[in-house]
Parts: sequence; C-alpha cells; structure tokens
Amino acid sequence: MKRILIVAGTLILGAGAVMAQQEIAVQQDNLMRSQAKSMYGVILKMTKGEIPYDQKAVDAAIASLEADVAKIAKTFEVNPKQDVVNATYGASPKVWQNKADFDSKIPPVQKAIAEVKGKITDVASLKAAYTAMNDRCTDCHETYRLKLK
Amino acid sequence: MPRRIISVILIAAVAALVVYWWLTAPTALALPAPMRGPDLANGQELFNAGGCSSCHAVPNQPDRLRLGGGLALGSPFGTFYAPNISPDAADGIGRWSEADFVNAVMRGISPAGTHYFPAFPYTSYHIVKVDDVRDLFAYLKTLPPVSGRVRDHDLPFPFNIRRNVGIWKLLFMEVRPFMPDAARSAQWNRGAYLVNGFGHCAECHSPRNFLGGVITSQRFAGGPNPEGEGWVPNITQKGIGGWSEKDIADFLETGDMPEGDSASGSMRPVIKNLAQLTPEDRAAMAAYLKSLPPVDGPTPPKRKEAGG
Repeated sequence: MKRILIVAGTLILGAGAVMAQQEIAVQQDNLMRSQAKSMYGVILKMTKGEIPYDQKAVDAAIASLEADVAKIAKTFEVNPKQDVVNATYGASPKVWQNKADFDSKIPPVQKAIAEVKGKITDVASLKAAYTAMNDRCTDCHETYRLKLK
Repeated sequence: MPRRIISVILIAAVAALVVYWWLTAPTALALPAPMRGPDLANGQELFNAGGCSSCHAVPNQPDRLRLGGGLALGSPFGTFYAPNISPDAADGIGRWSEADFVNAVMRGISPAGTHYFPAFPYTSYHIVKVDDVRDLFAYLKTLPPVSGRVRDHDLPFPFNIRRNVGIWKLLFMEVRPFMPDAARSAQWNRGAYLVNGFGHCAECHSPRNFLGGVITSQRFAGGPNPEGEGWVPNITQKGIGGWSEKDIADFLETGDMPEGDSASGSMRPVIKNLAQLTPEDRAAMAAYLKSLPPVDGPTPPKRKEAGG
C-alpha cells in the first residue's frame, strides 16, 4: 500500500511538474503574443491602411508594448524545456544557453519605444516608428525565435 | 595460388581507384571572352539577390559589406565556416582571376581545382549567366578588403574528403543553364531566374535526403531546418496560398506577413538583402513564387520538446 502511494505520489508530482513547465511556456508565449497584437494587430495594420488611423489605439498599443517588453527578461528566466502544444513559433533553447546575450537585446527595444512614444501623430510617423521598433524586435528574433512548423 | 589472388585484388583496387578518381574529377568551365565591360550596378543587384553577405559578412558587426567570413553553418554533416570572400589579396579573393571566380560560383570548384562543399549553393548558381557572375565579381572587388583567414570546416570522416563531393555532384547537381519559359511573361522568367539562381531559395526551403541532396519532387515545400532546431516553411501555394502576389513582394521587402507577424530566424538577414533589390525584381520573384503549384512537404513533428 505504501509503495502504491509513493508511486502514485511520484506520478502526480511528475505530471504536476510537466504541467508547470507547459504553463511557463504558455506564459512566455502569451507575453510575446500580446506584443504581436500591439505591433502587428494594431500598428502594422494601420500603416497598411487595413484599419483606420486611431490616435487613442496607437497610444494604447505603445503603452502596452512598453509594459510587455519590461517583463521579457523575468518571464523568460526559466527554461520550460518544451514548446506550447501545437504552437507555430517557440523560443530557441539558445535563449537559456546565452541568457545574458538574450537579455542584452531588450534595452535597445525599450530605447526604440521610448524614442517614438508621444511623437506619433499620423500614418507617416507611425510607419517610421513601426520600422524603428520592429527592427529591434527582429534583432532578437533572428537568433532566439524559432519557427516550429 | 595466393599470389594470384593478391594480384587480382590489387588490380581490382587500382581499377576502382582509377574509376573513383575519374568520377570525382572536378570539371572546370571554359570561360568565353567577355562581350562587354562589367556592370557594377547589376553586380550589386545580384550580390543582394544572392544574399552573399548573409553567410560571408563578418558575424556580430553591423557592416554587411565586410565579407571576411567566419559564420558557422551547422549541418547534419558537420559545421561549415563561411570563407573570406573580401578582395583581400592574402586571405580573400583578391588574387583570383575572373575564371577562378566563375568556376567557384557556377561549378563549385576552387582555384586550386578542388571541390567546394555544397554548403556553398553552387547547386543553384550553376543556372546563372556567366556575364552576371562577371558583374558580381567586379562588384565584390569594390568592397573593402578584410584580412584574416577563416578556420577550416569541422567535418567528420568521410564527409571531410573533398574528392567525395565529386560523386555527390554527379548524384544531385544537374548542370544546365537557365531555360526561359516562352509561354510565361518576361517578369515571371526574371523571377524564376532570381529565385532558382542567385536567390537559391530552394536550398533552405526544400527537404533533403540522407545524403543532403534536395528532394526534387518536394522542392520549395519546406522541411526541418538543416541547421538544427525549427522548421523551414513551405513556400509553394500549399504553404502561402493565402498570400497575394503583392503580399509576397511586400514580405520580401519588409519581412511583414499578411497574417500579422514578421519574419524571424535566418529569414531576417535574407530580408535585409532583398530589401535592397529594385521593386521590379522583388515583384518578379513574387510573381514566380505565386505560380508554384501546391506541394505537400514533410510533416513537422506534432510537438517538439526543446532540449535545454
């Protein structure tokens, strides 16, 4: 009986650990998705004229980006060692092999956001801001973001 | 009696060696005399279409025109290190003749007459026009020389035997010039030339067999990233059927995808190069890519456990 309890307990703990890891991966994925929503769902769409220019939405997107980017280093502290189930993109294991380098890519993104914040007034300035910010995002994605399928 | 067996074996071994030597001999291209002077603007356009700097620029520094090499390129056969192709006389291609360069790019043969490994995509470049390669050579000569020889490739036996590449070329490299399709527009043909020649898109966007040869029936259908983790997307209409021709051209310029995302991974430096092309050339590549019939590629793993 004792043995069964130990085995069952270990199994439950093991499953719990796996779920926790999946949860970490999901949290990381959600943080990046939230930024993608601001960058691509709002800003990029406006620069392309797919949705009309809306100053309030622009300011909200920039504020949200600023808050999200500040969370990257902490949210990616732990390596979940797995991808989100059925995800198309994921984090490369290189993030945790070179965590210091990964973290060093964040301040330039914050700088780019700070430089455009409050200065976007029309589609033209939004376009320039998009490129300035996205170039810093992709500096990191070039090495640390993986396409999974 | 044993002596006769030994001599038979010896003769067979010598014969096998002769056949091997004959099969694997590099065959250089006889270069016709140039019909015109070099066109540097064309050379620059092809430099960007070919993405030379993605592999040959010195890594971890911002100038994509410093072609001192050194980038490590992982593969299932070992690690390749991109060589110095800056015009440096000692370490780069400063002392190369035009014929040396044309044979390197179009045949994968070094000035010393040895095979290059097909990590260098001459398997695509063989279809290009000799005059275009001459223009590219003239353009490369205008870039800054960078000193420093790059270390040797790190390949285990038997992949480190260059002579074996001769067999590989017989199996997987069909040498033929680009044949325009008269039924298609000039724009489509230009796109086909850029995508299949200098652009060498299929080198990454196709699955490969166990010997590293592209699986022709699944050309452009994507597959596992040869460099290790991740997946290279299917760029036939199976994969990007939802993209318009303009979406593709825009993507090649900015990396922005119609579904609301931005290119990442190794495609990022490719976009940096393609952004420098003329809009006409990007539109031509898009027209050709949009015409690729849908082809199923390999299936990505359902759920990949990323190793820590």
